[in-house]
Amino acid sequence: MANLSYAVPCDPRWKRAIELPQRAEEKSSNSLQIPALNHLLINGLTRGSLVETSGARSSGKTSICVHILAQATKRGEVCAIVDLHNSFHPDSAAASGVHLDRVLWVRCKCNPEYTMRAADLLLHAGGFGVVLLDLSEAQAGILNRIPPSYWYRFQRAIQNTPTILLICADAPQAKAASRYSFECQAKAFCWLGERPFARLRGITATAKQRKLTAICPEMPLQITVA
Amino acid sequence: MYACLYAPGSSPAALLDLALEFSPYVEQSSGDTVIFCLDPLRKLLGSPYQIASEISRLGYERSLQANLAIASNPDTAILLARHTKGVTLIPPGEEQRKLAPLSLAELTTDQAILDLLLRWGVKSCEDLAVLPEAGVAERLGPGGVYLRNLSLGVLHRPLRISAETSNYERRVVLEHPIVLLEPLLFLFSSALAEICSLLRSQSRAARQLAISMDLRQSAYQAVLEFPVPLTDHRTMLKLLQLHLERHPPKGEVVAFQLRVEPVEPRRVQSGLFLPATPLPDKLQITLARIAGMVGDENVGSPQRLNTHRPDAFRMAGLNFQLESQPEDVPPPVPPPVPHGEMLRLAIRIFRPALEARVRLVELAPKDVLATGVKGAVMRSAGPWKTSGEWWADTAWSRDEWDVALDDGGLYRIYQEGQTRDWFVHGVYD
Repeated sequence: MANLSYAVPCDPRWKRAIELPQRAEEKSSNSLQIPALNHLLINGLTRGSLVETSGARSSGKTSICVHILAQATKRGEVCAIVDLHNSFHPDSAAASGVHLDRVLWVRCKCNPEYTMRAADLLLHAGGFGVVLLDLSEAQAGILNRIPPSYWYRFQRAIQNTPTILLICADAPQAKAASRYSFECQAKAFCWLGERPFARLRGITATAKQRKLTAICPEMPLQITVA
Repeated sequence: MYACLYAPGSSPAALLDLALEFSPYVEQSSGDTVIFCLDPLRKLLGSPYQIASEISRLGYERSLQANLAIASNPDTAILLARHTKGVTLIPPGEEQRKLAPLSLAELTTDQAILDLLLRWGVKSCEDLAVLPEAGVAERLGPGGVYLRNLSLGVLHRPLRISAETSNYERRVVLEHPIVLLEPLLFLFSSALAEICSLLRSQSRAARQLAISMDLRQSAYQAVLEFPVPLTDHRTMLKLLQLHLERHPPKGEVVAFQLRVEPVEPRRVQSGLFLPATPLPDKLQITLARIAGMVGDENVGSPQRLNTHRPDAFRMAGLNFQLESQPEDVPPPVPPPVPHGEMLRLAIRIFRPALEARVRLVELAPKDVLATGVKGAVMRSAGPWKTSGEWWADTAWSRDEWDVALDDGGLYRIYQEGQTRDWFVHGVYD
């Protein structure tokens, strides 16, 4: 045992645990760059990873997801949206820069079982740049019934593929299976003018990575009306 | 040597049948003209005279009135068959002499060249044939040289053999009626394998699969459209299985027929630096499976409609061109990422809109109560009055408000113009 611990630093095939995250960083050239989130994701979103955005209503989580979709479709990637509550809004997505002709939208009629099965099928079909699994507005009781093994199954399905699985929910779901987990929180709503001529300008929110909090502290986000 | 049969007013099929009696390689240049090569018949039937008499005899037996011309090249044979009655046999080297009296209007329909030649005093093939080739090429270009060679009878070309039209359908009459899907799929599999093998051998692919089944008391018909042409029978079988599981035949199947619509196969030049896209055949099966769960109308690509009506869209078929490159294909080296791009506020829509009770104070919402939405209005903006399409069933008229409630949500609510009812349209997120 003593000999092995002595030999490890000399052998290039062996890596210490602290060096393992650096291997992922080396793949940054193959990552999905997200301009508006550069301060949170210096090297972009790593391909083949499971990403969560969570937060309450009006926290900006959907805006982040739509922005990620927009970046992916701008690069010519085909993306998919698995929508539990049929709440995706094509007009606001198009205004955010999403190329709708490269988006496959699956409306799951508020059935969580269909949602998970559809996501599973799409991930195993492969070839998608981003698959957005939208579980927002789902009741906690329903989400708690989703077996945790599903998330690991999804993680294994996209591992070593160019696909990013993006989960949008009111609370974190994938737990340890996710590589990035953003928690969003609204700080203030911004308005222009005074009544009766007031109009909505946007949301000031904060987003923080629930993982790697030491590296990426909480960052403010300015989300404006398109 | 080539033989040309010209039979105006007769059936094209009968003419083709007669030609096919002598050669499998037949060019049907028009409905009343067929050409075929005689060289393989020399050992079988003898000299061109004997071959001509044999063709005439068979044509007489079939009551087919046709002109027959035999010449050393197809175009000369066609010209002579069309303009000489009866049987004409041209020995090699005699083409120019036989074609000499023909008018130039018989050679081409290009009126510009004809007018020019007439102005030069060139009226027949004989006149054109004596012109120098270099001069014709200088003045009339390739079209003029082609006409000159035609009038000389020296134009050689291969026959344009018409491909045999294949029958891409299989009909199976069952000895015993089948009720279960599994044994039926076993039979479909072999029929589809045959059809796909034929498609591949002829470099074709299937864009559409039509299935019709004779049931004991009724009939069943379905058509499967494929987004991209397919040649793999396993993919077709899986799609057929998924369709039949969703729409099973209601009765015992006594016979079935499968027919595919042949099209050009999909040819794609992939690029090393293009983003990955789903494999078309795999994607079709995946979409069929998902459509089996959620319904066809809930799977597709959202397409915005050309209207200002709120939330106007339709679910279109997958119209992203899997084979086409995106407009902004990234170069091999990623460009510098702009840092100034802003996040745009997205909205989540409640479908259908939530019926709400709204208390107004000084014509502005003060409290909102709906299913899952409840709170006092902290701040609001509006009303934004929109209306349109009054001439159609899709007419709308509403006053929209953006309201921030004390539950922490930022909502879009609206009041119907006609009924004055309130609804929560969506939540900004």
